[in-house]
Amino acid sequence: MIFDANTALYIIEIVIGGLFVGVGVHFVPVGGAPAAMAQATGVGTGTVQLAAGSGLTGLLSAGMMMSVTDNILLVVASGAVGAMIMIDATMVVGNWSYIYGVGVPPASAKVDYDPITKNPQPPYVSQGTVGHGIPTVCYVSGTIGGLLGGAGGSLIYYALMNINHNPGLSGMFAIGIFVVNAVLASYNIQGTIEGFHDPKFKRVPRAFQACLVASLVIGIIAVLITGGA
Amino acid sequence: MSVAAGGGEAKLDKKKLMIYGIGGGIVGIYLAGILNMAMDTNYFSFLAGLGVIAVIVMGSEAVRMVCAYGIGTGVPSIGMMATGMGLVAAMFGLSIGGIAGPIIGLVVAVAFGYFIGAMANKIIKMNIPVMEESLTMLAAAGAITLIGLSVLVAGRIDYELIMGSVIDTGYIAVLFIAGSLAILHPFNANLGPDETQDRTLVHTISTGALAMIAGGIASIAIIGSAGILTILIAAVVWLWAFRWYFQLVKRDSAGVVGTGLLPKGEM
Repeated sequence: MIFDANTALYIIEIVIGGLFVGVGVHFVPVGGAPAAMAQATGVGTGTVQLAAGSGLTGLLSAGMMMSVTDNILLVVASGAVGAMIMIDATMVVGNWSYIYGVGVPPASAKVDYDPITKNPQPPYVSQGTVGHGIPTVCYVSGTIGGLLGGAGGSLIYYALMNINHNPGLSGMFAIGIFVVNAVLASYNIQGTIEGFHDPKFKRVPRAFQACLVASLVIGIIAVLITGGA
Repeated sequence: MSVAAGGGEAKLDKKKLMIYGIGGGIVGIYLAGILNMAMDTNYFSFLAGLGVIAVIVMGSEAVRMVCAYGIGTGVPSIGMMATGMGLVAAMFGLSIGGIAGPIIGLVVAVAFGYFIGAMANKIIKMNIPVMEESLTMLAAAGAITLIGLSVLVAGRIDYELIMGSVIDTGYIAVLFIAGSLAILHPFNANLGPDETQDRTLVHTISTGALAMIAGGIASIAIIGSAGILTILIAAVVWLWAFRWYFQLVKRDSAGVVGTGLLPKGEM
């Protein structure tokens, strides 16, 4: 394979996609094990599970769109919408379990007033917990995270499809690059974050640098692989 | 397989595990590929699966090393990252290397792993001393696992054949998840203050055998009855490893007693 302007463009697309994924993870309200016991705000599972769930749905919808058109904007938008629907469905059903199953009101312990609804938070936070459920600000933040994650994943998929024209290989590679960036970003937030209002969100620049370098190295290797026959 | 015999606190050196894991994996893959080609059959594919079990044991040891520091994101994240890095390296190696593919994939994976470990420490500032080393081991384990399982399904070390029989059919998704789980599950299940190395690693042999069974089922559609041989051998390995694991669980636990069901009146 010869390096030309197109190859460089594809590498840049993969890097931008990786950065979207890395930054997107910071928007998703990940609560981890404490949230599973309704003792922390966010969805009660790990970053990788959430990112993989929404990212894979995004890839599916992007692949679906890619089978009818190669307009990059349509493919990326389709992936972003798919991921947003998936993460929103997860958060809505999670909130049902917290509100009607566990019996706790959604509340954030990181801010005194919800930045979007202006509702006071501390009176609703149960003693001994750091919030519970998915309040409005986390929900909006999570949707933005789904947008970025889905757009990033489908951008990587789009770039790879143009190189090797093999949906299986491109899809699996997109998942591989997606997982590496999502895990690096989740190390940056040490596993849990509430959304863009969380103080940990200020660490984004570090994940930005790490994902930039990681996606660049993996992207250079990935564009060299041909799709066989 | 180099896991110390049960009983006592036999601590296995990680260097030894690396030599046996990577060596066993590469030897298994090449024996499977070359014997299959030389005899023009597919019945030696199971050797790649045995190599995969050896390298998964090494990956599990790397998970043990790094997760002992508490990475905050749960054990599954690092197992998924291992196969994520390994997948790109494995396919790169197979696509450019021909018969040398597994070696090239291993080298690229080692470079990826070291590099990403260094970034986790230097840029994200995780400050885990073994980060570089364990991510190097994990990426190598992920790459050899995926190459090995692909050779197990396809029967040859041949990129075109693997593309057609593993990637295009979608079996790669099954191998990806089965390989990740085999690497990450044992420590996730055994962690805690009473975790012992031999119990975790023996558990890894059984999860590796399950990944081999998954590969064997996928390979029935590709190489026919040779896949059934793979499943049978993997089932024997699983049974042996799981019985051994159960002995170690009994050794490490305060007591294993059958309590029976609750009496009818108290339900």
